[in-house]
Amino acid sequence: MAAYIAKRLIAAIPVLLGLSLIVFLIMAMIPGDPATAILGSYATPENVARLNRSLGLDKPLPQQYVIWLGNLLQGDFGRSYALNRPVLDEILERFSATLILAGTSLVLCSVFGLLAGIVSAVRQFGWVDRIVTFFVLIGISIPSFFLGLLFILFFAVQLRVLPASGMYAIYGGGDLPDLLRHLVLPATTLAVVATGVVARLTRTAMLEVLRQDYIRTARAKGLSERKVIYRHALKAAMVSIVPVIGLQAGFVLGGAVYIETVFQWPGIGAMLVKAISTRDILLVQGGVLFVAAAYVFVNLIADVIQAMLDPRLKA
Amino acid sequence: MSTPVVQAASEQERGGRRPTAWRLLMNNRLAAAGFFVLATIIVVALLAPILPLHDPNVTSPADRLLPVFSEGHPLGTDHLGRDVLARLVWGTRVSLVVGVSAALLAAFTGSLIGLVAGYMGGRADNLMMRGIDMLMAFPYILLALAIVAVLGPGLLNALYAIAVVNIPFFARNVRGITLGLSHREFVDAARLSGKSHLSIVLTEILPNVLPVIVITMSTTVGWMILETAGLSFLGLGAQPPQADLGSMLGQGRSLLFTAPMISVIPGVMVFLIVMSINLFGDGIRDVLDPRLRAGTLSRPMAVTRLDRKEVPELDETARRSALAVRELETGFEGVDGIEMAVKRVSFTLRTGECLGLVGESGSGKSVTALSLLRLVASPPGTITGGAVAIGGRDVFALPEAEIASLRGGKMAYIFQDPLTTLHPLFTIGEQIAEAVRAHQPVSRRKAHEKAVELLRSVRIPDPEQRAKSYPHQLSGGQRQRVGIAMALANDPDIIVADEPTTALDVTVQAEILQLLQVLRRERGLALLFITHDFGVVAEICDRVAVMRHGEIVEEGETRDVLGSPRHPYTRRLIACVPRPGQGSAFLDAIRAMPAETEGAGIA
Amino acid sequence: MKKLLAAAFSAALLAFISPASAQTPPNALIIGQIAEPQSLDPHAVTAVNDFRILVNIYDGLTRYKDGTLEVEPSLAESWEVSDDGLTYTFKLRSDVTFHDGTSFNAEAVKFNFDRILDEDHPYHDTGPFPLAFFFSAVDEVSVIDDLTVEFRLSEPYAPFLSNLAYPTGLIASPAAIEQHGKDFGRNPSGTGAYKFEEWEANSRVVVTRNEDYWDGPPALEAVIFRPITDANTRIAEMLSGGLDVMVEVPPDSLQQFRSDPSFEVHEQAGPHVWYVMLNLKEGPFTDLKVRQAANYAVNKTALVENILQGTAEVAAGPIPPAFAWAYNEEVEPYPYDPDQARQLLEEAGYDGQELTFYVAEGGSGMLDPIAMGTAIQADLEAVGLPTRIETYEWNTFLGQVNPGLEGKADMAEMAWMTNDPDTLPFLTLRTEAFPDEGGFNSGYYSNEEVDKLLEEARAATSQERRAELYKQVQEIVHEDAPWIFVANWKQNAITRAEVSGFKLQPSFFLMLQDVAKQ
Repeated sequence: MAAYIAKRLIAAIPVLLGLSLIVFLIMAMIPGDPATAILGSYATPENVARLNRSLGLDKPLPQQYVIWLGNLLQGDFGRSYALNRPVLDEILERFSATLILAGTSLVLCSVFGLLAGIVSAVRQFGWVDRIVTFFVLIGISIPSFFLGLLFILFFAVQLRVLPASGMYAIYGGGDLPDLLRHLVLPATTLAVVATGVVARLTRTAMLEVLRQDYIRTARAKGLSERKVIYRHALKAAMVSIVPVIGLQAGFVLGGAVYIETVFQWPGIGAMLVKAISTRDILLVQGGVLFVAAAYVFVNLIADVIQAMLDPRLKA
Repeated sequence: MSTPVVQAASEQERGGRRPTAWRLLMNNRLAAAGFFVLATIIVVALLAPILPLHDPNVTSPADRLLPVFSEGHPLGTDHLGRDVLARLVWGTRVSLVVGVSAALLAAFTGSLIGLVAGYMGGRADNLMMRGIDMLMAFPYILLALAIVAVLGPGLLNALYAIAVVNIPFFARNVRGITLGLSHREFVDAARLSGKSHLSIVLTEILPNVLPVIVITMSTTVGWMILETAGLSFLGLGAQPPQADLGSMLGQGRSLLFTAPMISVIPGVMVFLIVMSINLFGDGIRDVLDPRLRAGTLSRPMAVTRLDRKEVPELDETARRSALAVRELETGFEGVDGIEMAVKRVSFTLRTGECLGLVGESGSGKSVTALSLLRLVASPPGTITGGAVAIGGRDVFALPEAEIASLRGGKMAYIFQDPLTTLHPLFTIGEQIAEAVRAHQPVSRRKAHEKAVELLRSVRIPDPEQRAKSYPHQLSGGQRQRVGIAMALANDPDIIVADEPTTALDVTVQAEILQLLQVLRRERGLALLFITHDFGVVAEICDRVAVMRHGEIVEEGETRDVLGSPRHPYTRRLIACVPRPGQGSAFLDAIRAMPAETEGAGIA
Repeated sequence: MKKLLAAAFSAALLAFISPASAQTPPNALIIGQIAEPQSLDPHAVTAVNDFRILVNIYDGLTRYKDGTLEVEPSLAESWEVSDDGLTYTFKLRSDVTFHDGTSFNAEAVKFNFDRILDEDHPYHDTGPFPLAFFFSAVDEVSVIDDLTVEFRLSEPYAPFLSNLAYPTGLIASPAAIEQHGKDFGRNPSGTGAYKFEEWEANSRVVVTRNEDYWDGPPALEAVIFRPITDANTRIAEMLSGGLDVMVEVPPDSLQQFRSDPSFEVHEQAGPHVWYVMLNLKEGPFTDLKVRQAANYAVNKTALVENILQGTAEVAAGPIPPAFAWAYNEEVEPYPYDPDQARQLLEEAGYDGQELTFYVAEGGSGMLDPIAMGTAIQADLEAVGLPTRIETYEWNTFLGQVNPGLEGKADMAEMAWMTNDPDTLPFLTLRTEAFPDEGGFNSGYYSNEEVDKLLEEARAATSQERRAELYKQVQEIVHEDAPWIFVANWKQNAITRAEVSGFKLQPSFFLMLQDVAKQ
């Protein structure tokens, strides 16, 4: 298993490097440069050139990339132009906020998606199934940014039961309940779509597994229906569900971009959107690298879990 | 095995009254509803130019933000005084075109990559898939943002961005299928026949991949419309004054608190479109997906559905024998009513006796066997009549819990092809121990010891080690021995062996048969042995019943039936058994009755 | 698993039960900002959003008189200007100390300006200093004695005193810069009414009362600046009680706050112009009549009153009325007259060629650029000027527009906020300010007379003379119509009723020295 993990980690390196190169090229292709972004209305060619020189952006592109890569290998992500602080400081702060949000959503979507999917498969065509199917459909059909706005309108402005934005209260906050209160709306919004996807998949996977010959064997042994479903069927269904939950990590991380904007969550998604618009190349590079690494990592975990579930994959 | 029967049933359907895909689709009420909502929306959007609507782009700042149901503006006006209804209709038109085009573009490009990668394999495959990995690791919205930033804003560029972001789904799905197909016989054959790679991909592989592409599309179109709306929402889509749903939502968003309807209306429209597409797409998937084609994918119940019109009296013989079946009727519910697989079958199995139930695939013998303890998958299976007596009690009259205690307790099953009938994710030790613990109140440890003991009793070498193996790590013969060990776990009185040797090669087959014989003698088991092979019957069974088209056509002592078969079908089955040294005579025997075979087959 | 679920559930329940109404602390003011500041180094920033914080931490040698754009003494008690307008001598206030305890003196002033202007200064690498060119006329800063400092200019530069009041002219503690280097922007130290306390990234910047402030300590104990980029979220926070002050309220939401007695709405016109620049080098707008037709065609009143909900006024020319002393009252805005526009187009023999219109998606001072662009497009279409909009995200937009419209577009939106009447015309209307010469005249307007007037105004040392010259400029430019003059923004803010002494300034700065909270 350890060898397998090591192999996967090594395989991830070229993917991440290639990604950083793509990001670098894309950023170089976007019209406008950091100097224009910093100078705003005062971006005359002369001012831009002077600023670019002091930012080290007057060097040829390949050289800039190599410099960045060289620094990266020494653990230096560079300095953000727009924020005047080391990229790594900003990313670590932002990334932990995103991890809390996306992690919670991933847990929510896994737990509720699995539960809904199982219940809906077991009670197929019953009223529970119908209700679950209905909500799942709504979940995967509603634009998440729209849902977020509706949540704010309802829970924060009308009912005033939950805060509209931010991660901690400005005063008297900072503890866990405070964080949870701020987390409820954005994490739920973010989880809705993924929950729908997981629930649908779980339902299908369960139904498919329940048709398998070994389930009939389990029944023929005289096992209780509970055991048949939760031990035999679920374990087999998990083999196809786990990688999809891994893929949801990608959607949750991607969707965080909207949600962080709408809920003012100080995460890496909102940071990246802004960094792209301010052409803060190093910040974008570092941020994308982190998000991609997180994605690769979650999928690795999913694959490892899958391999642990299914001995046939270990070979 | 019940599958052959189901296949036979659907085979018939295909030949005869098989419903068209369209009818199947419309039978799914939700899919039909989705289709009609979607169709209505599309028709209205298409008719936009001739509908009596305001010009969607004419501003009138003085009339801005009129509420819903204002005179002349049924859905009110937006922040520039434009008619919301007109913008909604025109915007829907734009959003639909963009979403569908993006889906087509992504489907085409992604499928192409998938086909090439899957077909070529090796380094090209590796390279392409790493590229796809990179795309997937890039948060999709940021990728779209970056692409739009490079290309400049505009619907067309947003469309490209959405298409690019969705390429991986198609590429991965198509590659998977293609990879499987490219090693199949018919592709090899095409290669050997000197076809070019292009024509192999186009004529041999693509037709098989097409359903997957359509399914993937049906599940992603809705998603892409959402994403297009998302990009427009962030201001990267349609250029003003052109309306599209996302930009309407985005512009309305700043007025969320003052004029919520401005954003709620396009929001609801996006929701309706995506929802109807999803419903319709699910319907399409259900029709196209080979796994679902036989009917809806439905969950088999713990016991077969029971719908007996009349309950036959149990005679004295039935009461005293180990197992008695009286006028059993089992059928499968289809779109056009019930298809009967077992028709009024009766037989008796005495204690310690071995009865062979013989017939071809689809004769109903497996369904008969599974019906005994209500193990036929249901839906669609239904027991419509008859009675089964075990130890004198009518099984069909028992509550579910008691049936469960009979299963693997008093009566156990041995199935064909243990690779699929053993759970692939549990060790064989666990699986046997589980059978023990289902009926005996023993500790986990005890059960495990018992499992090892059982493995030893079916002559598996080194049972302690083997117990820790997974089914895929064993040979076919060993797996079947595991199946037998599992059946023996609770010292049953009756064993139903459903083609236990069919999947095995001849020498192993003989070993297993011998093992069964020995066990039967040692333990005094009654054995219901289901097979298509008269050779096996001759070796092991005391009596034999021949089944054809769900009915028993002949029954008697094995010796008698083998010696002087009365029914032509029985004769044909017997003739199929090759005897050592028989040589060409065997072939002559088969040649001698083609007409009869065909005649029998059709009747 | 079950235990975990139960724990999560009870935690969620706990979160729900505890009261959610946000509470602001008694003597601290919470301000909803539109974005996270870039830096708190006054010389490194360019955004009004950051200026709002900086003017409370730092002082300049001069400052704007309350409610005006006229300069008055601040850290400099008085000053003298030589007759040739090249030498400025400042007498500094004594007994002023920086928040870090070091004292403010002539050396500190010299250090600040040398840092941003002299590429060989040891702390020049703590930049970049994008707005350093505000002081590009400064040749040398010399220390005469501890409390006297002299600036030598290379050419007469009338806006100099005004620029000293701008954030680029604010004085930072040299000791703090030496100590923190590049990170000074996150550890600022000035002489202002509030001391920097903490900056929690993406969450808040906290400043506290400077008890030793030379102009008298403020009433508030602390001010908390909260970055909330989304306007809706900002409104939601304001409504749910998480903020005391909110700036840049979307026009449509103002009404809601106006009718609610627990809030007070503040408005203040500022030195802002919103216009559409026209391409005078090629295409239909080379013809004066077509340019004037465009000005007649656009219903500016509808724009400011309906779309901007009265948060702006119709602009008449290139200089906003906020520069009261330089504003020409006699120049009237082009009236909305579509018939006149059609007639002018006919006279010009306009051939119906489609126009390309660059519209920004946002940007500083751009108000509601897409809605405004769309409305303008509709008005132009109505008189027979077919127009195609291309929208760009702000930085891309600047990247497209600043190098000039030639070969790309016929018109582009633009907005400027300046601190001196000189800045905007000097940078955007002179022949020498064409993009290839390093200016912002992206529409290529060229009029020798205007060029001459602007040069003279910059060198003039008397305000009366300058005012006269600027008034002439307004008249000529109005007639030449190189832009569609659209709007002058009135900035706004909302405070809770408990907040007193709050006042918006024409400079767009947020001076919080006199604000209190019950």
